Amino acid sequence: MAELSLRVNGTTHQVKTDPCRMLLSVLREDLGLTGAKEGCGQGDCGSCVVILNGRAVNSCLVYAGQADGAEIVTIEGLAEGEVLHPLQQSFIDRWAFQCGFCTPGMLMTAYGFLLETPHPEADEVRKAISGNLCRCTNYANIVAAVVAAATGGPQP
Amino acid sequence: MTSVVGRPTARVGAVEIVTGRAQYTGDLTFPGMLWGALLYPVHSPARILRIDAAKARRISGVMAVLTHADVPGLNRFAYSYVEDQPVLVSEFVRYQGDALAAVAAVDEATAAAALATIEVDLELIEGVFDPVEAMQPGARRVWPDRNNVHEHLVIERGDIEAGFARAEVVVEGEYTTQLIEQAFLEPEGAVATLEADGTIVVYASCQSPHRDRRQIAVALGLAENQVRVMTPYVGGAFGGKDEVHVQIHAALLARATGRPVRLIRSREESIRTHVKRHPIRIRHKLGATRDGRITALQVEAIGDTGPYVNAGAEVMSVLAATASGPYRVPAARIDAFTVLTNNPICGAMRGFGIPQGTFAGERQMDKLSRELGIDPLEIRFRNGLETGTVLPTGAVVREGRPMKACLEKAAERSGWREREEIEREPAPHQRRGWGLAANIFTVGFGRSVPDSGGVNLEMTPDGAAILRTGAADMGQGAHTVLAQIAAEELGIGVEAVRVVKPDTDRTPDAGPASASRTTFVSGNATRRAAAAIRASLLEAASLSIGRPADELHLEGGYVHAAGEQVTTVAEAARVAKEANLPLHADGFYAMEYPEQLLDDAYPHAHQVFTFGTQVARVLVDTQTGRVTVEELTLVQDAGRVINPGGAIGQLEGGAAMGWGYALIEELKTTDGRTANNSLESYLIPTSVDLPPMNVGLVEIPEPLAPFGAKGIGEATLTPTAPAIANAVADAVGISLDDLPLTPERVLTALARSG
Repeated sequence: MAELSLRVNGTTHQVKTDPCRMLLSVLREDLGLTGAKEGCGQGDCGSCVVILNGRAVNSCLVYAGQADGAEIVTIEGLAEGEVLHPLQQSFIDRWAFQCGFCTPGMLMTAYGFLLETPHPEADEVRKAISGNLCRCTNYANIVAAVVAAATGGPQP
Repeated sequence: MTSVVGRPTARVGAVEIVTGRAQYTGDLTFPGMLWGALLYPVHSPARILRIDAAKARRISGVMAVLTHADVPGLNRFAYSYVEDQPVLVSEFVRYQGDALAAVAAVDEATAAAALATIEVDLELIEGVFDPVEAMQPGARRVWPDRNNVHEHLVIERGDIEAGFARAEVVVEGEYTTQLIEQAFLEPEGAVATLEADGTIVVYASCQSPHRDRRQIAVALGLAENQVRVMTPYVGGAFGGKDEVHVQIHAALLARATGRPVRLIRSREESIRTHVKRHPIRIRHKLGATRDGRITALQVEAIGDTGPYVNAGAEVMSVLAATASGPYRVPAARIDAFTVLTNNPICGAMRGFGIPQGTFAGERQMDKLSRELGIDPLEIRFRNGLETGTVLPTGAVVREGRPMKACLEKAAERSGWREREEIEREPAPHQRRGWGLAANIFTVGFGRSVPDSGGVNLEMTPDGAAILRTGAADMGQGAHTVLAQIAAEELGIGVEAVRVVKPDTDRTPDAGPASASRTTFVSGNATRRAAAAIRASLLEAASLSIGRPADELHLEGGYVHAAGEQVTTVAEAARVAKEANLPLHADGFYAMEYPEQLLDDAYPHAHQVFTFGTQVARVLVDTQTGRVTVEELTLVQDAGRVINPGGAIGQLEGGAAMGWGYALIEELKTTDGRTANNSLESYLIPTSVDLPPMNVGLVEIPEPLAPFGAKGIGEATLTPTAPAIANAVADAVGISLDDLPLTPERVLTALARSG
């Protein structure tokens, strides 16, 4: 067991747990943040993506111990109260999801990508989200939504 | 003219989804919830000699270990009528996904420890893995007391001998399609809890909550009203969650422990166990006169359904019923075989036999056009069905105009007629090609199959509405469409309609969310419920403002008379309540079969069809065998589009699956055990794989459908693979008749053709 300190969406949590548990499990089970999903458990699908110290990561591949002291942003931290982040609004406006299961991971990947590349071309977005699987769409609306959010609203 | 129907509408629940608040089955927690897991066999098929859970039960934190002896009711379940799949196996393991035991423990690690400690002795037995061999007399049997051929279906019309005799050209081919995984992003699962009165409540990622309820009740030996099934957000299903997966197991564990139990499959378990798309071998013979008109068609289709029938017979039935394609075929005979093996179970998967049949049929049309030197577009116009065409099933096409309308629109949008202006050999190792495919798709289950649904609609006295539907929304957009229909009929905005998700205690049975039927059946049911409430509102408004009800019109939250807003719908609702007029109603609709079937029609013939055409422009790399689809044009006949935003998404998503079906997807098996059990090894399209899609719609309203809207959820998956295969044939002159068209297959065919 280890005492871990995780700062998630601006709040610091002290979590006592086996450091070898995956960060995804700690977020979902210990902190009740079920936005990040388990689609495969081994880093193939991107449903579990969160931001760890400023970079998008598959949280199913990060040990809880590795996240000790880290700054984490999950889908629950994207909106400001009831005000949606431009990415979230853009996804709604452009039908960038159908079943919605891949959406939290997709949004967090997009968010992390825009931190590095604030004004991307569509092809760059396509590459950036190529680790996020979606079985409902053909990704076209997702790409359009990310590009639109980057050019439209305020920067993340 | 409508004001809500036909408008692009954001998905109901959109904010919950983008904020991560939407709850899927695996997100649910309850106090005292246990972790459930199932034990699957390491070998299959096998005779079970011993299952001993004694040691596992003694592990601290293990609350229950169940085997077949612990199933109080019927230890079998089924997709429809043949209940042959055990909940927990006792004598035989027939495929890799049979459940040997069910465990509930305090956490994941303890459950895993329990699974590892259950002692199982299996005696390996020889399996049946080739469906064609399995059909031969004297073949080893999957079941000692059942024929490997579960069903041989024949659909026949006209004289095919005469038809082939007068044919001036005959084209024959053998086509095979592969085992396909739905690969929904949310692995299937269920959470079961108990109420104080003994009611078992099961939250499940499912498509058919009412059918699940029955199957759970039967297995637990309970009356159906002692089980409640609820469907939270569902992360994709595509048929793979149409029948029971772990719902019964979760319910058994909850009952055995007295505590909530969460049972969610891992991705690997999901790929190993749930039903897949049937791999089918089709032998296809097509006869035509020199001007390309079909005279006769003969099809033999062999579907490998695994050891349990599941939806096998139904899938082969739908394939057989559509095997003649969207054409006028004067004589046809289709033999469809549903064959049992020890391969993975196959069942419902988006398209339900039609993708397989369309691949063969449209490759054949292409070969025919090549043989005769007739343009592939032209040959389809010549043979295209029309209103009044009699299909081999005996169904008479009531509205055939969309077939050719889709052909024409796809030709225009893709630039088909100008294609020779485009460079065919952009580089020495690249060849460009064009392929076309047209298809017919069915809506609903077909005649003689129960196909109905109900909806409950309520208007609150402040003019908002609550829609209670048992129809699952697994991403296809059903709840949004139904909300739009309700809003249109009640004269309010769609944002004023709250949709209550499927709950067998609160929402009427809508039937399964499958067969592209939900908009049709539940949409009509919604209209009927709304009509009753609208009558109350109009009567109330009439009382209020002193004008006859038939001069009034509800729209946009207002009551209009002679084009003017005279009061609000909210006010009319308030007055209705005061006047004791009902503001809630149930609507029910059963699929109709008007007088258009011949007396000797196939009993499960369909009556509602949609048509579509796709054009693929490909670039084949002759050095690597890689096929790049440069553009995919898809045109779909929708009847009427209720939600353009959602509809386009469904069409594009279907074609994306079609692309995967054509080029990269294949679940590989060795002796019935799947080899690529992860999303790393079972490839589905990513954002960098898919071609740009050029989408067009044809809207010729279907008279029986709500606002004329037909179901389109499955149809666009079907013409994609043959369009791509036809394009490859056009590009490099090779005939690829087996899916997927991997680089290896392309290179091998290129080498063979010299």
